[in-house]
Amino acid sequence: MGIILKGISKSYDGRAVLENLNLEINQGEFHVLLGVSGGGKTTTLSVIAGLIKPDSGSVFIGTRDVSDLSPDKRKIGFVFQNHALFPHLSVFENIAYGLRLRKITEKEIKRKVDYYLNGVSIAKEKDKFPSQLSGGQKQRVALARALVIEPEVLLMDEPMNSLDSMTKETVLDELKNIQQKIGVTTVYVTHDQAEAAFFGDRVSVLNNGKVDQIDSPVGLFRHPRTEFVARFVGVKNILKVSPIKINNNEIIVLIKNEGLERPIKIRVKKYPVFEIDKEINLCIHPEKIILKKKNKVPENEIPDTGLNRIYGKIINITDFGNVLKVTININGMEMYATIPKNLFNFNIYENVWVCFATNAPHPLCGKKCRAPASERRCLNNSNFAPLNGG
Amino acid sequence: MKNFSFDLAISLIAGIFVCLIILPIFALFTATSLSELACQFRSPMVLSSVLISLETSLAVVFLSLCLGIPVAYLLAMKDFKGKRILDTLVDLPVSMPPLVAGLALLILLGGNSKFGKLLSCYGIDLIFSKKGIIIAQLFVSIPFLIKSTKDAFESINKNVINASLTLGASRFYTFKTILLPLAKNGIYTGIIMTWARALGEFGATSMVAGCIPFRTETMTVAIYQNAMSGELSASIAVALLLLVFSFTLLLVFKLRVRVHAR
Ligand SMILES: Nc1ncnc2c1ncn2[C@@H]1O[C@H](COP(=O)(O)OP(=O)(O)O)[C@@H](O)[C@H]1O
Ligand SMILES: [Mg+2]
Repeated sequence: MGIILKGISKSYDGRAVLENLNLEINQGEFHVLLGVSGGGKTTTLSVIAGLIKPDSGSVFIGTRDVSDLSPDKRKIGFVFQNHALFPHLSVFENIAYGLRLRKITEKEIKRKVDYYLNGVSIAKEKDKFPSQLSGGQKQRVALARALVIEPEVLLMDEPMNSLDSMTKETVLDELKNIQQKIGVTTVYVTHDQAEAAFFGDRVSVLNNGKVDQIDSPVGLFRHPRTEFVARFVGVKNILKVSPIKINNNEIIVLIKNEGLERPIKIRVKKYPVFEIDKEINLCIHPEKIILKKKNKVPENEIPDTGLNRIYGKIINITDFGNVLKVTININGMEMYATIPKNLFNFNIYENVWVCFATNAPHPLCGKKCRAPASERRCLNNSNFAPLNGG
Repeated sequence: MKNFSFDLAISLIAGIFVCLIILPIFALFTATSLSELACQFRSPMVLSSVLISLETSLAVVFLSLCLGIPVAYLLAMKDFKGKRILDTLVDLPVSMPPLVAGLALLILLGGNSKFGKLLSCYGIDLIFSKKGIIIAQLFVSIPFLIKSTKDAFESINKNVINASLTLGASRFYTFKTILLPLAKNGIYTGIIMTWARALGEFGATSMVAGCIPFRTETMTVAIYQNAMSGELSASIAVALLLLVFSFTLLLVFKLRVRVHAR
């Protein structure tokens, strides 16, 4: 069954957590809900599950309006953060719990529980208690417990948080397999953009109680539509600019990023979205930046033709094998460049020119605006790096 | 040298404390002869006070479970207007002097109040009866059960409860199969504390139920009555029995806490 959230709002003590949130999740889809911690992800899942009553809005599962149903009537499976297994019940009884409520024979209960015990490869542990299980095993029990009741939708709240990265990968793979096999509509909540990237059929990014963007993982990484999404998926070099002059096929803009001491003038390829004085976000992929020695270029104003250049100082260099990731401080704003090692002949704290072509910066509008070749490169490269990584 | 005298002073003070506790108990044990005690243990009055105390205090434990668990559930699980007030009401009897509580109950239930008259119309006489004792003991001791149970409910991971709900369980089924088993230890602790408090209750009980031998004379009341009328050995006999009861409960409580902490 698909899930539809219509105009969901929820606030606590006057502080809005969800604001008119709309979301449509297709039947059988593996949907990733991505957002910073405290961003309202758990609240959204709880609203779908009926554990939290929203201030306004409605929830549909398939064609059923479940807005006024209590959680036990919604036919959902919920895998909670930190598993929330029943500590006083064995693994078998944890999984059987939902079945015992339904009028099912003991034999049928045993058959179903065994099926899911095997499905998540935890059959050996069926007589253990939750406190005797490892994180990964608890995770599997929680999944089996949610699936055994054959829910119409499966909701998972940061299920992999407590797992180490090795276990995480294995469990994620298994999870995806099981989900595909039974085809249950799944909403998977995470704050980890790497999980989102490899997983969902589609990803929605939650920001300030609203969905900023719904897209395929690839779409999200290639064409982030807002600055938040861009930063969240790890896009570097986001420039807040306001156009001041539009020429034939070029446009002059002022960079006005926060922290920048004074605006910097650059020339940019003309895109239809530009309007004079309308602030817009551009991004430059770190591989598109070239560094030049200070003395090689005269220190005059911005050139009218050729590359843009901005004066800055190298403040960090990180080695990534073939390439170096270089951080440059430009009057209080940081920019990042990825430079092949053999082309790099600078020292840390050296003053340099940061140069890039007029067609390097492109708008964060969500529309395709780059040539396929460079798209491929930007997908393979830095975009998948974690936010705080080099 | 300074350290030494400090340690000495601290030890002396601790010694005073130990004397304060031990000497009276010692005095109790040595004030009368064993044969005298053995004789008292067989006296019908001593036995009747023991029976009355056990009967009423067990009834109190039962009633406090019936009343206290729902109140504890309400306080721990629900948000509602007046929750703070209810919470304060639970604390009130603990901080209220038992004699004051007894006086208040006496006035409410006595033959001169409207409520008391209404009750006696239906043939219910609470004053100077075992029912009165039970009400007085319940008043002062139910908070222990409520607080302990409420803490136990509150310490249950909310998502464990949510998990039960999403698996299709009703609130009652969840209460029965998840909350009660998980709060078990807290409830046991509450029972022990409530029972100990009810057994030791004197002030409110004597106000409400008076001191009618063989009818409303609980152990505590018997201790007081006998001591005041010069029947010291009877008083001591009851006191020793009461001590045994409360030490046993204390021991069970301590053991539970230790098991719990592991
Ligand atoms: N019961 C509550 N009372 C008050 N504030 C809450 C409550 N539940 C959540 N919040 C607040 O709502 C915001 C979103 O919470 P949550 O949905 O848990 O975020 P996430 O799961 O994305 O980390 C947080 O700022 C949190 O403090
Ligand atoms: Mg959360």
